[in-house]
Amino acid sequence: MGQKIVEYLDERVRIRALMSFLLNEPMPGGSRWAYIPGSMVLFVLILQFITGMMLAFYYGGTPDHAWDSVNYIDHLTYRGVPVGRLIRGIHYWGSSIMVIAVGIHLLQVFLWGAYKRPREIMWLVGTVLLALTMTAAFSGYLLPWDERAYWGTIVGTNMIGLIPLVGEAIKDAIRGGVGLGALTLSHFFTLHTMILPTLFILFVMLHMVIFRRVGPAGPFSGTPEQNEATKDTFYPRQVLMDSFGMMGVFILILLLAILRPPGLESVANPSNAAYNPTPAWYFDWIFQLLKMIRPEIVGVVGLPVLIAVVLVLLPFLDKKPVRSPFKRPLSVLSTLFVLVSMVVLSIMAENGYKKLVDVDRAAMARGQVVFNQSGCIGCHTVFGKGGKIGPDLSEEGLVGHSEHWLTVQFVNSKAHFPDSIMPDFTYLTKQQQHDLSMYISSLGRMGWPDPTKAQ
Amino acid sequence: MGEEVTYRVGIPVLGLRGENLGRLEKVLFTESRHQVTGLVVRSLESLHIVPLEKVTSVSGTEIRTHLTPNDLHQSPVFDPTQYEEVPPWFFPPGHHIELGALVTIKPLDVREQGEESAVSRRAFMGKSVALLASAIGISLLVPIGGYIMAAATTPVTDNWRDLGVKLQDLPLDEPVQRSFRAVSVSGWMRVPEDRSVWLIRHSGASDPWSEPEDQKKNLDSPLEEGHADPRLTVLSPICPHLGCEPQWHKGQKLFICPCHHSIYQLNGKVIGGPAPRPMDQLPVRISPDGSIAVIYEQFAIGIAAKVRLA
Repeated sequence: MGQKIVEYLDERVRIRALMSFLLNEPMPGGSRWAYIPGSMVLFVLILQFITGMMLAFYYGGTPDHAWDSVNYIDHLTYRGVPVGRLIRGIHYWGSSIMVIAVGIHLLQVFLWGAYKRPREIMWLVGTVLLALTMTAAFSGYLLPWDERAYWGTIVGTNMIGLIPLVGEAIKDAIRGGVGLGALTLSHFFTLHTMILPTLFILFVMLHMVIFRRVGPAGPFSGTPEQNEATKDTFYPRQVLMDSFGMMGVFILILLLAILRPPGLESVANPSNAAYNPTPAWYFDWIFQLLKMIRPEIVGVVGLPVLIAVVLVLLPFLDKKPVRSPFKRPLSVLSTLFVLVSMVVLSIMAENGYKKLVDVDRAAMARGQVVFNQSGCIGCHTVFGKGGKIGPDLSEEGLVGHSEHWLTVQFVNSKAHFPDSIMPDFTYLTKQQQHDLSMYISSLGRMGWPDPTKAQ
Repeated sequence: MGEEVTYRVGIPVLGLRGENLGRLEKVLFTESRHQVTGLVVRSLESLHIVPLEKVTSVSGTEIRTHLTPNDLHQSPVFDPTQYEEVPPWFFPPGHHIELGALVTIKPLDVREQGEESAVSRRAFMGKSVALLASAIGISLLVPIGGYIMAAATTPVTDNWRDLGVKLQDLPLDEPVQRSFRAVSVSGWMRVPEDRSVWLIRHSGASDPWSEPEDQKKNLDSPLEEGHADPRLTVLSPICPHLGCEPQWHKGQKLFICPCHHSIYQLNGKVIGGPAPRPMDQLPVRISPDGSIAVIYEQFAIGIAAKVRLA
């Protein structure tokens, strides 16, 4: 049967010659594990395409529905399996893994000296793909339309506004107006789901076509004769290595999606000035650097321009044919310096953020009972219900109080606010205090009503 | 790039002093460099590899080298089992080479293990690739299938809707159309919408029209059977033919559908027109105080069976 199909296709589209062209590509020096990062990027990209299309099935791209639709996806279950959360989790973690894979791929190409003649154009196309990846990550951040998304995008687009002369115009064009609103969301949705995927397909194809024209760079050591003598074809050994890599990446993403599903904060609230936005982890180092560079304009504009210029000009400035990293100490040391700086800056940034309490969902449920039974609701409003004497606690979990701070607040609020009129709930047991602090920490972060069961 | 180079199999290869060393047999291609790097020359005794550096000129009729016959004798012997033909798409630009003449060294495993065992090893690796790819594909497609089905199979929740009217206030044996506010749920969106039903209060069990045709014909589901009341019949306003709304004609005491003239009696029985089944009876619940609640169901149109739409 399979043989007949191949015969049929071979007669009409010469499928054998095509497959042989695609698969029997010579790999100088043989297959290696070191060559898999590029395939990993492509794999994650395809994963993002598939899961992204799935998310778009149920997503509503307007401010009055976006959050509800994401919450709906989070609650979609099929035969008890939380499929919606899983698909969203794969897409969410896929974006992080894609950024990592692109970084590793770039690093490998740089260290192998594979960007040098005759592969300059492939490198340039690669830098375009890097820019597309970062733009995709940035534009996808807004789509859930929760607090984090909204305020993160406010800051991100404000940075674009700092560019001299044209910045304000570009910012307003991206936002579709002066403020962040319905047009911003549909702009970002269009960018994220139509423009970027089209460009991705185009530039990935270009990347691959050029790759097949110039061929793989091969190992950085060894004479052409040695590499020729130990050569291999792309299929099957390298394909098998790539497949193992893909399996590993897929398992990693699945594990992350299952064990650490993406959260959904409360719906974007433009009047919540107290919200403290933090960037996605891969922008942490830029965030930290921008805090250090004054005036801002130098960092905001200068840093991306500097990165772009270095990446674009690299193959044209570095024309020496020597490829081995062991013979390019300056390149390797400066790469090491950049990497270490990025890690250090990221750690500094992460330490600067207020750590939100890791919520234990069982304790959270018990804490809700304590909350409802201890009369808290008499003074505090939660999600539109309750008294107005105390502050509204609907987004209290996003403030970043520690568990200790919260328990002190329950039993002795005057320690924090001397004028507080809140009664001291000293009769709460240690367990109840813990549960209640879990519940308070969850407010505005999780525990949303299930729209698939709602009446 | 210089002039185009033409390699023709069989042309003479000349030595340092113009003496005939042999004839051109094959052209050697180094894939890693995308370059022709040598020639295979057939001399009287065997095939020898001549590196391209030793070649001084190539024309359509002869190839000149600076080799002596002795040099040729010293150069490596060409082993045809170690080389394979280069497919046309790898041909170097600017070279005219006769088909079948361009050869390249075989991959290492093929040379070391022999064609057969290398091929079977490769087939094994190919199967492993297929296995891994299927594993990834299936573990991705299964949740996606569930994800699509999750919304498609969200169960319809039965909501009792109070109609805001009491049984005792309804006229006897005269259908009344009653509107009420319902909520249509689609995924994350809840849209309020106006629905209506026909209410027919019966004067007594003796009335021949008091029993809905659906009950007589046993078309009802357990939900409708369990929530029927001899005092009141509730009919869906939707014509089971093609979904128009039949109207009550007081004079004739008949429901007539304006679209295709399906005609129904008071109990929903079809007495004319194309309708495939009686008007659909809906579940009803009457409280002791007389207030009426219904479940608004919708059924597939155009078929004889009363099939509820999920």
